Amino acid sequence: MVHSKKATRRRVMANFGVALGAAALGAPAIRPAHAQVKTLVIGGSVPLTGAAAETGLNVNNGYITAVSYINDVLGGVEIAGEKYKIDLKLFDDASDPARATTLIQRQIDEGTNFFLGSFGSNIVLPTAAITERAKKPMVQTGGGSDAIFTRGYKFVFGMFPRATRQFAATAAMFKSLQPLPSTYSVIWTNDAFSKTAAEGVRLSCDAAGFKRIDGYELPAKPTDVSSVLGSVRATTPDLLVCVMHDQNSLLVARQMVATNTNVKLLFQGLGPQLASFREALGKHSEYLCCSTYWDENVPFKDKFFGDSKKFVEYYKTKFTRPIAYHVAGAAACIETYILAMQAAKSTNPEAVRDALAAANYETFYSRIKFTPEGDGDELLMGGMIGQVQKGKLEIVFPAAAASAKPLYPAPDWDKKA
Amino acid sequence: MNLIAQTLADGLVLGGIYALAAVGFSLIFGVLHVINLSHGILVLLGAYLALIFSTTLHIDPLLTMPMVMVVLFAVGYVYQRFLIQQAVDRSPLGSMLLTFGVALMLQNIMIWVFSPDMRNITPTYAFTSFKLGPIAFDAVRVSCLLASLVLLSCLAALLKFSPLGRVIRATAQQTLAARLCGVNVRHVYALTFAVSAAFAGAAGIVIGIILPFSPADEGTWTLNAFVVVVLGGVGSPAGALIGGLLLGIVSTLTAQYIGPSFPNVTMFLLLVLLLLVRPQGLLGNAFAPSR
Repeated sequence: MVHSKKATRRRVMANFGVALGAAALGAPAIRPAHAQVKTLVIGGSVPLTGAAAETGLNVNNGYITAVSYINDVLGGVEIAGEKYKIDLKLFDDASDPARATTLIQRQIDEGTNFFLGSFGSNIVLPTAAITERAKKPMVQTGGGSDAIFTRGYKFVFGMFPRATRQFAATAAMFKSLQPLPSTYSVIWTNDAFSKTAAEGVRLSCDAAGFKRIDGYELPAKPTDVSSVLGSVRATTPDLLVCVMHDQNSLLVARQMVATNTNVKLLFQGLGPQLASFREALGKHSEYLCCSTYWDENVPFKDKFFGDSKKFVEYYKTKFTRPIAYHVAGAAACIETYILAMQAAKSTNPEAVRDALAAANYETFYSRIKFTPEGDGDELLMGGMIGQVQKGKLEIVFPAAAASAKPLYPAPDWDKKA
Repeated sequence: MNLIAQTLADGLVLGGIYALAAVGFSLIFGVLHVINLSHGILVLLGAYLALIFSTTLHIDPLLTMPMVMVVLFAVGYVYQRFLIQQAVDRSPLGSMLLTFGVALMLQNIMIWVFSPDMRNITPTYAFTSFKLGPIAFDAVRVSCLLASLVLLSCLAALLKFSPLGRVIRATAQQTLAARLCGVNVRHVYALTFAVSAAFAGAAGIVIGIILPFSPADEGTWTLNAFVVVVLGGVGSPAGALIGGLLLGIVSTLTAQYIGPSFPNVTMFLLLVLLLLVRPQGLLGNAFAPSR
C-alpha cells in the first residue's frame, strides 16, 4: 500500500515535470498569437444572492451578454489601434454593502481600473465612494439615489437620471390624461431608493400642479398594508403612486384588490414590468402603470448589436430568463465604456473618465449623455411610461415611443375581474 | 370606532399567521433548547413545495398541506438526527452556529434551484373579500387565519393527549428521568424537530398565499418567530398564539395610529420591555414547572 502511494506520488511529480516542460516549450510559440489581442479588465460586484438578487441577476446577465458578444462575435474591440478583449471580473456581493466595498477595494488593490455598478443605491453609494477616491471610473445601472450624484463625484456615471428627476416624465404623462386628475397620494418603503424616489414624486407632481393628499412610509419589508389602504379608501386620491421594490408593489396591489381599494390610476415604479408580477395579479394587472427605461421596440441604432431587436435575439441565445430593462441598461454600461475609450483613444482611467463626461453616443438602450454630476440626462435617458393592456406592457408615454394610448380612468378592481 | 375595529381585526388576522410561523421555533427552543436559525428556511421550503404541488397537481394550495408537512417532517427528522444533534453533542453554541450556516447554504441552494425571483401562490379566491357589518375582511387572509388556528389546535392536542406528545413533554421537563424510563431521547428530539419543521412548512403555505416570497425572506421569518416566542413564552402553541396575536395587533395599531413605518420600532420596543420585565414571556416556559 505504501509502495503504491510512493509510486503514485512519483508519477504525479513526473507528470507535473512533463507539463512544466511542455508549457515552457509551448509558451514562446503561443505568445505571438496572443500578443495581438490585449485584455481589458472591467471589475465590479453584483448581488446574485440576498434581497436584491432578482434584479441583480438581470444586471449580471446584461454585463455578460455585452461582453460575450464583443469577445465572441466581434472578436474584440479596437481602441487606439489595438485590439482588446474584455475580461469581466464580477463577484457576488450578496446584496450586502459591506461585502461589496471589500470586494471593490480588493479589486482596486489588484490593479483593476474600470468598474461596473452593483444593484441598489445602498450598495452603489459606498462602492462609488471607494472608486472615486481611487480615481477609477464606475459606470452603473443600479443606483439612482440622489446621494450618488450630489457629492461632487467625478468618476461615477449612471444610466438613468437621479431619483428625484426620474418622475418628471410620469408627471408629464399624468398631465396628458383626460379627464385631468387633480390629486395624488404616494407610498414608499423605508430604504434609500424608495425614499428619494418618493421625494422625486412629490417634487414632480407638486410642480405639475397636482394636489398631494397623503404620503405613507412603510417599513423596508412590509407584511401588511391594510392600515394604509384604509386611509387611501377614506381619502380617495385620483392617482396612487407606489415607489418600492417589486415584491412590495405586489403586496400593495394584492391587498388593494382584496380590500377593493380603488383609485383612478395606480402607478407602481417597479413591478408591472415583470411578467411574473402580471401573472400573479392576472386580469387585475390591467391598467397598472410603471416606469421603464427601455423596450425592445425603441428605435435607436447601435454600433455593436445594430439595434434593440438584435440585442434581444442574442440575449435569448445566452439566457432563458425573460429580458428586463436592467439587462439592457447593464449591457449599455459596457458599450458606453468601449465608446468612451475609443473616443479617448486610451485606456487610461482619467482619460476615459473625461470621455465619459463628454459622452454623446447612440446605443440600442438610448442616447447616452450624462449631466455634469454623472447621472443620465433627464430628457435623453429619462424613463418611458408603460401600462398593462391586454396582459402586455405597452409604452404609453412619451408619444414618440408610444405603442398605445394611456387608458384612464381605470375601472374598479371587481369590474376588471 | 369602525377604524379601531377594522385595525384590530386586521391585527388578529396577521397575528394568527405570525403565531403559526413561530410555533415550530417555539417548540424546538422549548424541548431541545436549540435556537433554530434555519427556521425561516423551513418556512420558505414549505411555500416553495406548496407552489410546486399546487401547480403540478392543479389543487388548492391549502390542500397541499398534508404533502408539504410529510416532506418537511422527514427533512426535519434527518436534519436534527444527523446534523443538529452532532453539534449539540459537541458544544451548546454549536447548534446555533450550525443552523445559521445551514440557513446560508440553503438560501443559496434555493436561489440556484428556484431563482432569486419573487414567487407567490395565487388560489382561486385570492382577491375575494367580504364584510361583517362595517368591517371588511380579506378572504384569503381569513382562510389562512383559520388554517393557522386549526393547526395550532391540532398541535396543542397532539402535545397534550397523544403518546408522542406525552413523551415530548416528559423529555422536555426531565430529560434524565425520561431517559431512565426508557425513552429514546435522541429519537424524541428528532421527532420534535420533525413536527416543528412540518408546522413551519404549513406556515410557509399560509405565508406564500398572502405574501410574495423569495429566498431572501428567510431571515424575516426567523426574526419574527424569535420575537413571537419572546413575547408569548417558550414551548407551547398557546404561547405562540398569544405572542403572535400581540405582535399582529401591535403592528397594525402602530401602523394606523403612529405611522406605517413604525411597526418594527414598537415591536422591538415591546421585545426589550418584555425581556426586562418578564424575560420568560407572557405564558412562561411550558415545560419549566417540572424542571
